[in-house]
Amino acid sequence: MAARTQDLPPKGGYAPINFTRIPAKSYFSGYQLFAGYAVVTAFAGYMYFRTYRQIRNEEIEMRSGQMAIQPMLIAERDREFLKQMRKNRVEEEKLMSGVEGWEVGKFYSEPIYKTLPDNKFVDPIVQEFFAHGPSSAFSRKILLPLMS
Amino acid sequence: MNICQKERQLQGKLSSCIDNTVPGPLCCCSHQLPRGTGLRMFTKDFELPTEEELTVQEVNVTTSSLRAGAFHLGKTCEKENHEFILCREEEKDPRKCLTEGKDVTSCALNFFRKVKKSCLEEFSQYAHCLDQSSKDLNYRYCRNTQAIFDKCVLDNLNLERPEFGYFSRAQVIQTNRPKPEGYTSVEYPDAPPPIPEVDRARAKYGARNYWMT
Repeated sequence: MAARTQDLPPKGGYAPINFTRIPAKSYFSGYQLFAGYAVVTAFAGYMYFRTYRQIRNEEIEMRSGQMAIQPMLIAERDREFLKQMRKNRVEEEKLMSGVEGWEVGKFYSEPIYKTLPDNKFVDPIVQEFFAHGPSSAFSRKILLPLMS
Repeated sequence: MNICQKERQLQGKLSSCIDNTVPGPLCCCSHQLPRGTGLRMFTKDFELPTEEELTVQEVNVTTSSLRAGAFHLGKTCEKENHEFILCREEEKDPRKCLTEGKDVTSCALNFFRKVKKSCLEEFSQYAHCLDQSSKDLNYRYCRNTQAIFDKCVLDNLNLERPEFGYFSRAQVIQTNRPKPEGYTSVEYPDAPPPIPEVDRARAKYGARNYWMT
């Protein structure tokens, strides 16, 4: 067996440990950073307001174009909606023909609205349009576009 | 057995048409519905117009063509459009505004027929430009084709393109339509007399805000 050695400090002791702090090098002081931020913001604001007028006018133009054709589109939509409501009513009649006590458009002779007159038009929920078809039509046309 | 259970017995029948993925009250008992959900299925007494009444020649035109002709179309069919929208807003019932709607559609059809006869090339080029230049059919990328189309329409159909804010402004319209039942017009008996209309010159330096002018 070799002679036992101990893990002793070196001759003359350890070298002194340097524990002075070395902070990260800062290229800009705090005030300089604020100043730089202000300069960049001011420049960006200037560029923004230069085109603000232009963008606003373009938006007005787009909206004007949309509003000009809106009545035509609403008229088409109304006609299609009424056609579909008639088809739905006929379909419901066929579907519930074997059920006792079922009146079309009501819940077993209980009307949906109690205080409104029979012929008053109340806009139904969207699902009514797609009631007698596959739910994929509803999902595709309404659910996804409204959610996105 | 309460009504809700009876309804569920039928669910096998109803939901064969409707998957259970459809949210809403179609597969639920009406007593469990939150108030105000418009489960309005139309009863037999409800007057729905017939298919013949609703079948009319439709404007068979694409979105880009509609956008291209929007301003001129709006100016041409102004009266019909106003009548229809007024009817729709007052009556809140699509069945009562069917004739006005048909007028609107026929006016639009006539406009497109006229354009097709006289300015078809310019119009289709403008519509094509709008379609291809941006994702939302923005007008600003197609000023050249727009100028050509405007000139053509001005020469042939004598139609001036209205200024860009024309349709975004509120417009007061004169109409002979009778007011619907239960229409209450708001009146202020002690309102001061209105300011007299005088020809005013434009403000000399515009608005005081530098970003508005």
